[in-house]
Amino acid sequence: MLIDKVSCLRQLIDSSALNPFQILKSKFSTRSQHVKKTKKVVRPNASNLNEPQDVPFMNYGKSKNYNRVYSWGLAEHGALGYLPKPKRKRSQRPFFFRPLRIHFAYQYPITKMACGYGFTIFGTAKGCKEKVFGSGINSDGQIGYHDPRRDNPLCLVLAPVPVYIPYKSPKTVEILQLSAGRAHCAILSTEGVHFLGHNAYGQCGRPIVENEDYIRNKVPSQAIRLGNEKIVSVCCGQDHSMFITESGKVYACGWGADGQTGLGHHENEWQPSLVKGDIQDEKIVKISCKSDCVLALNDKGDVFAWGNSEYGQLMRDDAIQQVNVPMHMKKLKGLGKILDIASGGTNCAVINEEGKVFTWGFGILGNGPNVYRNPVPTLIPPPLFGCNEISPDTKVVRIEAGLTHFAAITNYGNLYTWGRNQDGQLGLGHLREQYFPLQVSLGAVVKEVSCGVDHTVAMAEPFI
Amino acid sequence: MTNVTRIITSQAPVVWKNLNGLICVHKPSERSVKSVRKIIAERICNELNELEVRPPTTHVSIVGDTTKELDVQVKPSFADHPAVVGPRYIPEELYISTGNFLGYHTSGVLVLGLQNLGAKKAKFLRNSSLLRTYQLKGKLGVATANFFMDGKVLFRGRYDYITRDAVDKVAATMEALHRKVIFDLCSVDPRSQTAYDWASQGLLRPFKTKSPVIYGIKCVDYSPPEFTVEVQCTNETEEFLIELISKLAAKLRTAAACVQIKCIRFSHFDIDDALLKKHWSLQHFLDSVLDGDTKYQKIRDTISPTLVNFQSEETST
Repeated sequence: MLIDKVSCLRQLIDSSALNPFQILKSKFSTRSQHVKKTKKVVRPNASNLNEPQDVPFMNYGKSKNYNRVYSWGLAEHGALGYLPKPKRKRSQRPFFFRPLRIHFAYQYPITKMACGYGFTIFGTAKGCKEKVFGSGINSDGQIGYHDPRRDNPLCLVLAPVPVYIPYKSPKTVEILQLSAGRAHCAILSTEGVHFLGHNAYGQCGRPIVENEDYIRNKVPSQAIRLGNEKIVSVCCGQDHSMFITESGKVYACGWGADGQTGLGHHENEWQPSLVKGDIQDEKIVKISCKSDCVLALNDKGDVFAWGNSEYGQLMRDDAIQQVNVPMHMKKLKGLGKILDIASGGTNCAVINEEGKVFTWGFGILGNGPNVYRNPVPTLIPPPLFGCNEISPDTKVVRIEAGLTHFAAITNYGNLYTWGRNQDGQLGLGHLREQYFPLQVSLGAVVKEVSCGVDHTVAMAEPFI
Repeated sequence: MTNVTRIITSQAPVVWKNLNGLICVHKPSERSVKSVRKIIAERICNELNELEVRPPTTHVSIVGDTTKELDVQVKPSFADHPAVVGPRYIPEELYISTGNFLGYHTSGVLVLGLQNLGAKKAKFLRNSSLLRTYQLKGKLGVATANFFMDGKVLFRGRYDYITRDAVDKVAATMEALHRKVIFDLCSVDPRSQTAYDWASQGLLRPFKTKSPVIYGIKCVDYSPPEFTVEVQCTNETEEFLIELISKLAAKLRTAAACVQIKCIRFSHFDIDDALLKKHWSLQHFLDSVLDGDTKYQKIRDTISPTLVNFQSEETST
């Protein structure tokens, strides 16, 4: 076959006066009809990206502002720090069911925040001229005295306003912690604790004055000192307040009808007094209370509780519903060392060392739509917080309780919420109840979260 | 294996019969799946034709004078001779279907189903939203028009401030957000007990939908300006994965272009089992069919239509 072709080619060359090269070419071209053409693949490589080209250069760099405050929930009372545009339907309550960044946090370095019952207070970093901001309901002067017209104080502050606190040395003072209750709030700074708001039960740590008009109080109550000991933490319940001192002792004042002060009686007490009982010899590091059931955590990871137990929050065997002396929670012993605690209105939650969340009490506890009551601590399955085979090292590191909802933060800075959602306080983009933890779409690493009754505020850092 | 080898060397029809199942090949980048299928079909047919193929049918002719005793001649039929009708095995007759689809720029594990049984198995793999693992390589500091490296460069950006920690943070958040999206895709009411039961067991598999779902994103290598992320996903497309790199970069306040996409795992089919182009020969394909059958059976036994069981689905033997 091959020989035939070659001889044929020779004949062609001999017989024609054409350039042999051309004949060869034509011969090949006829051959190529039978042999398939192979297209040469042009492989792209990354060198295209390296060539110097005349293109714009985007110089964004690192984020300059590292404090980002997001809020969501009911916006009617202004506790979110901003108001939505007025809607056509007047009957519709304004709310945000997705996290939105608070504008005013662009301007001020917000480092602390606390949600009360329909109001929010923000604390700024050291060196800022304005120390504390507040917005929301101000019916009892809980966010200070604000009067656009003389002697007409505002009952509702719809945007964050600076709160006046008479510090002795405003330049060096630093806000350490904020806490807010139903109608009062506590501001812990290096100069001690200042209280604003309602004092009908003595929750501000000063003597009760009958028929006092709290909204016209222009000056917050004076800084409280518990002897020579420094206050390191403060926690406001519904109508009472608790302090933790440097040595881990707990002092309480305010409303005691459910025993939430833990002072051994059910009376109101305005003088901050030492809480005894089982926590007498313990070093308490954290107290959590949103309503009237108090959880306390010591440095060894044991949990103590007192106050209301109508919904089985204290897990007592007897039928006593108001416990006025701190008691050790023995049923939490099997969970290992407890790292964080949260106490809502009717429900409680703890995180153990493995990053697992346990809830008990009454309400939406995160164990599905069929579980409304847990008499003993029940584990929320870790896969609900994103702990699966692909990312097995996911842990829950912080938990916060609102009155009817929970918020938990994982070690990756993801925020999960569950509970009641009538005003969009879960931030999931709808107003339906959520029966198990679901992640909130927040484009940042969440550091801190605070839950109110119908709103939630979270503080976050950008990724870079 | 030795049995197969002996059969190959003798009979092409036996080999053809055994080439009925799933094979796992390594698809090179910048080549379409169609062309890979074509090359494989050509190679298989060429090799089969070199073996002992079916002999031509006999042609019986009765010749001679009809008044005398006739002569019956039995000869090989020229009408069935390979020189007349062409080779016994032609690529057009070898039916190859795909178990997972890879785009033009993607390289890596490609599962193909040979012939009828292979097509049946490939269809099952295609429709059951199995987990795939991709390695995406991105280049920081440059944005192109089509998010891939061969596009026109639109702008450049800084990347000197980016740390591996930041990439991890963004990846973790993207992963968590995609996990949340699955509930919408699964058409499950999040308020129902079923949703809770499924979610508490682990990862949900999307059904009744073909939307891409990401289960995991992890940064496996960071050497600026290049970085590599490993993505576990299902129902993905190439465009979706290419865009993922630029989405990730946007959260890092810079730009990035995708440089490489590599499928390193498709359910039990690992990249170590994938046949490279130099191994695309009959012997290797036959071995791969045997291997593919056992893996297919394993997937069949362990698969759940609603849940992704990562360990039983991804750990290859």
